[in-house]
Formats: sequence, C-alpha cells, structure tokens
Amino acid sequence: MDFKDYYQILDVTENAELKEIKKAYRKLALKFHPDMNPDPGAEEKFKEVAEAYEVLKDGDKRAEYDEIKRYGSTSNQRFGNSNSGSPDFSDFFNSIFNGNTDGYQHSGQHEPDLFKGQDLDLEVPLFLEETVDGITKTIEFHVPVFDGRRPKQIKKSLKVKIPEGTNDGERIRVKGQGAPGSDNKLNGDLYLHIRLIPHPLFDVQGIDLLLTLPLAPWEAALGKKIEIPTLDGKINLSVPANSASGQKLRINGKGLKTKTGRGDLLAIVKIDIPPGTTSETKKLWEKFAELEQYNPRTDWSN
Amino acid sequence: MENITLLIPLNELCQIEGISHELIMEVVEYGIAEPAAGSDLSEWTFDMESTHWIKKAIKLNQQLHIDWVAIAMVIELIRQKETLEKENVMLKTRLNRFL
Repeated sequence: MDFKDYYQILDVTENAELKEIKKAYRKLALKFHPDMNPDPGAEEKFKEVAEAYEVLKDGDKRAEYDEIKRYGSTSNQRFGNSNSGSPDFSDFFNSIFNGNTDGYQHSGQHEPDLFKGQDLDLEVPLFLEETVDGITKTIEFHVPVFDGRRPKQIKKSLKVKIPEGTNDGERIRVKGQGAPGSDNKLNGDLYLHIRLIPHPLFDVQGIDLLLTLPLAPWEAALGKKIEIPTLDGKINLSVPANSASGQKLRINGKGLKTKTGRGDLLAIVKIDIPPGTTSETKKLWEKFAELEQYNPRTDWSN
Repeated sequence: MENITLLIPLNELCQIEGISHELIMEVVEYGIAEPAAGSDLSEWTFDMESTHWIKKAIKLNQQLHIDWVAIAMVIELIRQKETLEKENVMLKTRLNRFL
C-alpha cells in the first residue's frame, strides 16, 4: 500500500491554513471534475484530490494523518473490524480512518442516508428494433463491496424488462440492486442508462428515423415504386417523378416508438451515378445534354 | 425478473438521497429538475431524468462547494453539451452517408 502525500496532492505546505487548503481543493476539483474534464485520467485525479481534502479539511483527521506522516504510525490506530470504509477512497485512506464513521459526514443536510449503499450507473446498449417491442435484457455488472479492509468487486447478473418505447438517453431505476448498505442501511440502486446502438441503415432524429434512399438518375427523374426497409419489415414506397437529391419522403408511423405514440420514417433521396459508362450510354447522356438546357449552378452566376 | 421504477415519489427521493423537501423545492425552482406529476408538493413524483439531475446537483454541491445558481448553470450547460454532442455524432453519420 502506497503512502499518500495529501499535502503534495493538494499542492500546499504542511502548515497550510484551512483557508489555503480549501482554495487549493476548489481549484483542483474544478480542474479535474469528471463533468468538466473529459480526459480519462481526470476522474482518478479528482478522487485523489477529494480524498486529500477529506482528510486535511478535518482537524482530527489531519492531526492523525500528520502523526503517521511524521512517525510512520499513530498512537490510536484503528483496525479493520467494521465495514464502514468507503470504496470511493484508497486502501491507504481506509487503513487509517476505517471505523471512524462520523468522519464521512460532509455538510449535514445534503448528505445521503449515511452508509446507504452506493448507487451504480450502467449503460445499456439497445438495438433500434428492441425499442419497438420492448425486450427482456440480461444485465451483467460488477458491484463494489467493502469487506472492512479493501474494496472488492462482485459480479452480478439480473433480468430486466425494458419497456417498449424506451429511447436513447432514458434512465431506468432498479431498486436496491446497487452496492449493499452497511449496518442495516438501505442498498444502493442500479440506474440503467439507455444508449441506442447505431444502425447500419437508420439514423435517429428525435422520434423520427432517417433512411438514405439512393436512386439512379433515371429513377429520380421518372419516379419508381421501391421496396424499402423499416424497423418492422419491408414496405413499398412510391418515389415521385423529378425527386431531387436531399428530398424527404415521409412514411407515417414507421419511426421510433415512444410512450405516447410513434414517429415517422423519412427517406432522403441521394442520387447516385453509375460507376462507368459504355460508349452507348455515353451517347445517350450526350443526347440528354443537348436536349436539356438545365444549369444546376445558377446560384454561382452574378 | 427485476421490478423497475420509472417514477420516484418525493418522500422516497428525499429518503434515498438524504435531502429535505426544501432542497427539492429549491432544485425545482432553479429549473434543475421538474416534477413529472402531482400538483401538491406532497404528491410530487420525479422521473429518472429529473432524478439523475437532482443527484448530479447534490454531488456538485458537495464536491465543488458551489452555490445553487452556479449548479443550475453548470447543469444547463452539461445538458446543452450532451445534446450538441449527440447531434454532432448524428450529423457526422448523415454526412458520411452522402459522401
């Protein structure tokens, strides 16, 4: 177990006053807070800073820590006979302050039920198709438990019914399936965060689905009945004559399902050109160019 | 099969987060969360989206020692950022389909 120099972590001197410690903490907490700093290492750094502050802001804890820092041990070192440590803090922290229960209370009114188990957040990827009918998912995750000495991870598996019409970003709570609470306190809860898996054909725009519809130039010009894929099977779509690239064709009620209804499917025309031309088709294009006086770049001319 | 919750009543939310009714009222006033149903305070329920932001607000308050106006602003900016990121990913995918 590594010794942690909390003064160094907060970048303050050993005789720093509480005011300086607070200031240093604020500065570093804002810098490394995972909501503000997307770097992968930021969260670990934030935890380290929070742990250092937890000790140095508290007169008793700081005195105890100083003693260990100076003499390598403490006159009233506690032993790991209770499971009141915190998985948020390091082994080093828990080995010193384990059992010192009231030390975890921060600012009174905002403190969650003391030692209620930790809530867990879990991302659940869903296929678009699964949101239409609802699905029973087997969720596998790790629950952090604290055995009085060190945090451990226990693997858990649950079956959860995801209701139909559940969409991207929605959250579902599974009560009591978070980390176990200590001393007869409540278990934490498990929060599932739904993420829609990108679909090879459909893009999600709110409750509507977008489908790119490639057309050959003559299909776009003449119109055509085309069989198109939807989340619930193929349907026929009449592409009108003279459909331009980017034009949207709306198919009602074939979008995403929501709690209140269903969105639409928008087929967006994209005109593709055949990869190669034979001398015969080239002649036809030339004929076409002669007949048509259309200039697609009128916007450019002054 | 596990039972899922999509709405939490005010009292239960206060209990699991260890917070007061007054704090929830404050959070609602600042627009951080909105009750999903209930006209009377005692009948308020919150959906999981609001619950998420309430938890986030409490955490920010504890971790950064910043006041509620600042927290409301941070949360609004996080929301805007998340929306823009999502939109950006979608538009990039769309663009690639046309290129």
